[in-house]
Amino acid sequence: MEGHGLLVGAILLLCLTHTCYGVLFSSLQHSLVVTASPQQGQLLKAGEDKIEVTWQLNMTFPAGSDSAYKSVKVKLCYAPISQKDRAWRKTNDNLSKDKTCQFTMVAEAYNDAVQTFQWTIARDIPTATYFVRAYALDSQGTQVAYGQTTDGHKTTNLFDIQGISGRHVSLDIASACFSAFSLLALCGFFLAEKRRTKLSHNK
Amino acid sequence: MLSTELEKPGTTMEIESDQKKFALPVDSEHKSIEFRLFSVAAPHMRAFHLSWISFFSCFVSTFATPPLLPVIRDNLNLTATDIGNAGIASVSGAVFARLAMGTACDLFGPRLASASLILLTAPAVFCTCTIDSAVGFLLVRFFTGFSLATFVSTQFWMSSMFSAKVVGTANAVAGGWGNMGGGATQLIMPLVFSVIRDIGATKFTAWRIAFFIPGFFQTLTAFAVLILGQDMPDGNFWNLQKTGSKPKDKFSKVFYHGVTNYRGWILALTYGYCFGVELTIDNIIAEYFYDKFNLNLHTAGIIAASFGLANLFSRPSGGIISDIMARRFGMRGRLWALWTMQTLGGVFCVILGQMGSLSAAILVMIIFSIFVQAACGLTFGVVPFVSRRALGVISGMTGGGGNVGAVLTQLIFFKGSKYSKETGITLMGIMIICCTLPITLIYFPQWGGMFCGPSSKATATEEDYYLSEWTSQEKEKGFHQASLKFADNSISERGQRVNSASTPSDDNESTTARV
Repeated sequence: MEGHGLLVGAILLLCLTHTCYGVLFSSLQHSLVVTASPQQGQLLKAGEDKIEVTWQLNMTFPAGSDSAYKSVKVKLCYAPISQKDRAWRKTNDNLSKDKTCQFTMVAEAYNDAVQTFQWTIARDIPTATYFVRAYALDSQGTQVAYGQTTDGHKTTNLFDIQGISGRHVSLDIASACFSAFSLLALCGFFLAEKRRTKLSHNK
Repeated sequence: MLSTELEKPGTTMEIESDQKKFALPVDSEHKSIEFRLFSVAAPHMRAFHLSWISFFSCFVSTFATPPLLPVIRDNLNLTATDIGNAGIASVSGAVFARLAMGTACDLFGPRLASASLILLTAPAVFCTCTIDSAVGFLLVRFFTGFSLATFVSTQFWMSSMFSAKVVGTANAVAGGWGNMGGGATQLIMPLVFSVIRDIGATKFTAWRIAFFIPGFFQTLTAFAVLILGQDMPDGNFWNLQKTGSKPKDKFSKVFYHGVTNYRGWILALTYGYCFGVELTIDNIIAEYFYDKFNLNLHTAGIIAASFGLANLFSRPSGGIISDIMARRFGMRGRLWALWTMQTLGGVFCVILGQMGSLSAAILVMIIFSIFVQAACGLTFGVVPFVSRRALGVISGMTGGGGNVGAVLTQLIFFKGSKYSKETGITLMGIMIICCTLPITLIYFPQWGGMFCGPSSKATATEEDYYLSEWTSQEKEKGFHQASLKFADNSISERGQRVNSASTPSDDNESTTARV
């Protein structure tokens, strides 16, 4: 009986460690070829411009190596320059802790033909330098392979996105009005106080 | 309606007629001798509620950015350095603002001084919605942070409204409940943000709109203070000054008597290592839990909020403990309690940095918060007695010292990557223990210090201590009357020796004054 309990415990522990320690990026097969429409250094606008992404299996890989690929997730990832001094975008080899790729552009079923998708840049994408990476996932949703538009050191083919400012003229005007109001109210109170003191003193 | 009875320490009949004017029982200075939390009676308890709510709103505004940083840092393209610098800026403005506020209270009264500051900093909160760079971010945090100087007016106002027996409690509850704003904002701002987002605004606009809420709140509290508040039990400063009941004092004299009192400097230093540490933790603790224990932002924010919200009972407890100790042991009891609680706060800070598991870290953090916040309450149980003429300046120095402590600890331990956050927390705990030792050097001739009893000289009385701040010409003009009354009322700081008569005439006056 004790041995049985120990076995269950060991299996549970294995499952836990498996989920805790996600897949390592360095263990993934670089078997996808991914290209994106933006040129090196091109500036795109969030909420307006579109990115066209194309991905397929690298033909130099033997046929059947994509048998485990069930779905694909294409993500927008930060380039090193946008990760500098920003620990919340840090690259970690353990994919469950990795924060490089925070935005999903498209998630679809895997198809071994050439796939294309046109993505309108969402309005909440921040100003930064980016590249595109596609992960191939197995039936459990675990990453097994990847491809990206840049090289291994993430130095080529990077593009910039200009985020929206979020400012509005109406907000600026409202803040100016309320600021002026609080200052004027202060002056008003001071004058009223002085007049009240003078009146009660003259009594 | 202004009482000329102020100039004549009263006969029993006059005291009774004064008594009828006030809802709470009062002493000869018309300060309340009771603290009734759930009353809003004018002027005492109303002043209490106005001051803590307005101070709370300033804390909400000053610490409104940290919980929304994940959105703001993406919108403005901020780096960790930008965020760290802005955090330091948010607490550094108040260093000098607190000192200036102390002087302003002495000269213009707490009502006008605090409402002016709140209305002058409200524009910075409103203009937060217009920033679009790291520089703008730093500037709004810097100017909004000035509003933390309302702490000084809170303490001054409470010290003007409540007598020696309850002033520790009043100061600590007002200060603590105001400080809670730093915790409440970690819950309020994300909530407001998500409501605005659900209505339809995008992320980068929603956070901007959210800042109108603390801005409105701040403005409304300032109006309430101006319309409903009153500086002293007998009226407002300007009225009292015009009728001659409260002589107008000179800035240079007030300032001089404040900065030349060494006890003010010691308390300024030690306050930096209870309140200053509290501000530092407010700025870094969410990130600490988020990074070390891999929590999500929501959970880390709740833990961060609980640190600030502990102020609901921990700082008031400090004030209550101070008053209880004073009843039995007088001022010496207040000093011993302060040193003990603050040193224990340092010990638990050291332990916090060593905790490796989440539940242990949360438990130690809560214990640490209780001790450190109680020490803040205990500090302001001592401050009202350091000086009467320069109460505002001493409060300002102590309060300013608190912010200096926050700037220093963030600069030394939490800027850049020199120390990991847990090492920084442990080292900060060691610094707390060391910088609390100077409390042993505080000595009042009439009451003693931690290790020495009161002086047995005939000139070591409360009257001598407080009247030494006035020259004989000033005494001839009667400017010192308020200090005289205060000296009489502070005889309770002798602890249980109060009935042993060393100055019989004083004792007679004080027993009739306590109706």
